[in-house]
Amino acid sequence: MGEGRFGVLAAAPLALVLALGFAAPLAIVMAFSAMPERVFDLGHRPDFSAYAAMIEQGYWRSLLRSLGMALIATVILMLLCWPLAFAMAKLWKTFTLVITIAVVLSLFVSENIRLFGWVLVLMKGGLLDGYLQHWFGWGTGGLVYNPGAIVFGLIYVYFPFMLFPMAQGAAMIPEDARQAAFDLGASRWTVLREIDLPLAAPGIMVGSLLCFVLSAGAIAEGKLLGGRSVITIGDDVEAAFTYAQNWPLGSALAVSLIAVLGGLVVIALGRIDLDRIMGRR
Amino acid sequence: MVGSLTGPTRGARMALGLYGALILIILYLPLVAVGFASVSRGRYLSFPIRRYSFDWYGQALASDTVRELVITSFKVAVLVTVLSVVIGFFGALAFARYDWKGRHLFQKLALLPIFFPQAVLGLALLMWFNALGVTPSWKTGVVAHLVWISPVTTLIIAIRAYSYDPALEEAARDMGCSTLQTLREVTIPLLAPGMVTAGLFAFLLSWGNFPLSLFTLGVDATLPKWLYARMVSGYTPLVPTVGMLSVAFSAALVVLGLVIVWVRARRRAGAG
Amino acid sequence: MQAQPILEIAGLTKTFGDFTALHAIDLKAREGEFLTIVGPSGSGKTTLIRLLAGLESPTDGAIYLRGQRIEKLPANKRPTCMVFQSLALFPHRSVGENIGFPLKIRGVSLTDRRERALELLDLLQLPRSYVDKRIQDCSGGERQRVALARALAFDPEILFFDEPLSALDYRLRKTLEKELKDLHARTGKTFVYITHSLEEAMVMSDRIAIMRAGRFEQIGTPDDIYARPISRFVAEFMGEVNLFDLALTPEGMQTGPLMMAPGITSRINLRTGSRITMMIRPESITLLDPDEDAEITVTGRFIDEYVLGSRVQRRFNLGDGHFVTVETLREARSALSVGAPMRLGWSLAQAHLIEER
Repeated sequence: MGEGRFGVLAAAPLALVLALGFAAPLAIVMAFSAMPERVFDLGHRPDFSAYAAMIEQGYWRSLLRSLGMALIATVILMLLCWPLAFAMAKLWKTFTLVITIAVVLSLFVSENIRLFGWVLVLMKGGLLDGYLQHWFGWGTGGLVYNPGAIVFGLIYVYFPFMLFPMAQGAAMIPEDARQAAFDLGASRWTVLREIDLPLAAPGIMVGSLLCFVLSAGAIAEGKLLGGRSVITIGDDVEAAFTYAQNWPLGSALAVSLIAVLGGLVVIALGRIDLDRIMGRR
Repeated sequence: MVGSLTGPTRGARMALGLYGALILIILYLPLVAVGFASVSRGRYLSFPIRRYSFDWYGQALASDTVRELVITSFKVAVLVTVLSVVIGFFGALAFARYDWKGRHLFQKLALLPIFFPQAVLGLALLMWFNALGVTPSWKTGVVAHLVWISPVTTLIIAIRAYSYDPALEEAARDMGCSTLQTLREVTIPLLAPGMVTAGLFAFLLSWGNFPLSLFTLGVDATLPKWLYARMVSGYTPLVPTVGMLSVAFSAALVVLGLVIVWVRARRRAGAG
Repeated sequence: MQAQPILEIAGLTKTFGDFTALHAIDLKAREGEFLTIVGPSGSGKTTLIRLLAGLESPTDGAIYLRGQRIEKLPANKRPTCMVFQSLALFPHRSVGENIGFPLKIRGVSLTDRRERALELLDLLQLPRSYVDKRIQDCSGGERQRVALARALAFDPEILFFDEPLSALDYRLRKTLEKELKDLHARTGKTFVYITHSLEEAMVMSDRIAIMRAGRFEQIGTPDDIYARPISRFVAEFMGEVNLFDLALTPEGMQTGPLMMAPGITSRINLRTGSRITMMIRPESITLLDPDEDAEITVTGRFIDEYVLGSRVQRRFNLGDGHFVTVETLREARSALSVGAPMRLGWSLAQAHLIEER
């Protein structure tokens, strides 16, 4: 009795924060993206010239590049995380706790500090190169400031976002279903394909979505590890908003990115039953 | 599972264990590098480090700039913690506990800020504040942090809210509790562990947040924002030092949290 | 007997969207009685108890408590208390704090609460030392007793029970059924109990109301319901019974596999076109010797047998899709080979006739 009313009341504070801090800013960005270039208020006739500029000036390339790097990072993360996620959910007890705590802890360190640490490790004369030179007289040289380093940074930073949802997904595989499959004569490979992956799919999907979306819009990795060797869409958006002072262009870029990512998120979230993943009885 | 014929073989288990350990090493390798850099005496950093010194720590602790940064970071994180736990408490009830019409939609909308690139969100918020005529400062930073930390606290508390029996609240009401009494006597005590965890997460995520802070703090700066500025232009040897100090503070808080959990678990086991 | 009922419901209706869970039902509970509402899942019994407890409000109809209408009152304003299916014991409070909880809400002092909790532990035959025990450290049976003590601490006009024993194993359930009946006698309170197990209801109740699809199918004492089920549904709900359809057509009485001795059919009061179900319990059927006869007989071939402790159940195939189950004492069993033909019989007085409305 009255649960409906309680639900609405309880949802209100978060809904307010999201309306004022999420929906409204996105609406403003969308509105600005329609404005003529280089204006700073919305009192102009929309002409969508920023979108034209975006295409003419080749900004779509950085969008594709960012999406491509995000895709590569996501696929690599899926392969890297699956064995670990599976072992965490099915094999280990104490070690699972250790990994969980260690990985969560790393999340609390700003990504810029961690990425800066990688610069120190990978740069010419850095931890890796320096000690190799010192001990063996042979080094790796500088490994940073190239697109590969950006992808590496994405993989590193978004590792937890793949690992935890995947482990949650793997925990949803009932052990007796696996054993029944083995009992019915399935090989390990068949069990993986027919039992493990389909049953863990919700977790894998959430993890991949998070990694893809967050990497596509990331800027710190490109700035710190990429050293401007590659311009990402995040860089372009930032540059348009800050140095170039071209808000409509920045908005148009942001809207294009959001359209791709938002579309994916909405489709994927629509298919997920959160009650089941989070364990409502 | 030990000795199970259907699980991975012994060799596979060993390989998995080694793999896990390797991942942990790689996870923390950059922090090791920062740690080394923070105790290198030279003004220009190169490995191997030849002379060690803790001078930079002394300088950092004495610096007014660093003090300002710590105060701002702390102020923002405390406010974000308090507000996001309150919002998350109610949000979790709407998310997991009450049956209401908009629940499934609400669950998904609440997740959207987590599934959104933070840097883009920061820039969008910057435009929004400008459109409202609000000068960005640490206060707008609090708002920005809330937008993505409140969904996180909501999720954490929701996990707890899923795990308790709704009949507990009904039983309380059946025995005469008003809505407020039910909240005080049953709901809040049952969700308390989740709220503590959520609070710890909120503080640490705000303390270490970089992409939102970068754009939404105006002239004010938190530690990560300042560190970034110094990393991309005007590097000083204080960068690794201040970074390590910030990390050490987070680590201390986490250790404190774990000790509380451990003591509670011990006490429970002892009582049983 | 004709005193004012402590609880009366009239025309109580509850709908959820298009689904009607309760169809304008009526029921009265007498002061001090143990009334059990039995039904399969989905019959509306849980909805009914939640309406009675005030956890949901009815779509239509009235609930009277000693003549006062209460259906609009929320749970916290009703002088009744429920023992939940999950028991709903507060895991963050000790046994004593759980029992004292309703008193705390009324502002009773800590020492008085503790005193009352100790008394109730005595009443429920739990050690007094349990007052500081954590709920997690109590066994299933102990939790049941704590939940009961907590409900009694409330001192309700009526105690409602929502299948509190359903999660327990068989033996513990049997013990607690007896304790509950005993507690009912000692406290003199009115108990309204919900269960899906007619067996459980039979053990404890003064009266039983059987629910089916949002309506009461039959209300009566356990003896009434056992001996005179009003419908096929009630008869089948009671477990292993044999049911045979009888119909009167213009050609004469259709008795299916039943062979009736002369004069028996005329004693069955059937109007043309009406249908009657004959119910015969497995233990009322006799295996006939070749020279023996009975008022009603069937012939069947032996299929198999189940041994149920001291009793044996045997199934016979009567042909045309008819089967019959016979129950005998284990000692009285004679060896039968599968497929062996056998004559079985009973008297009309042992059977119960159900006229379908």
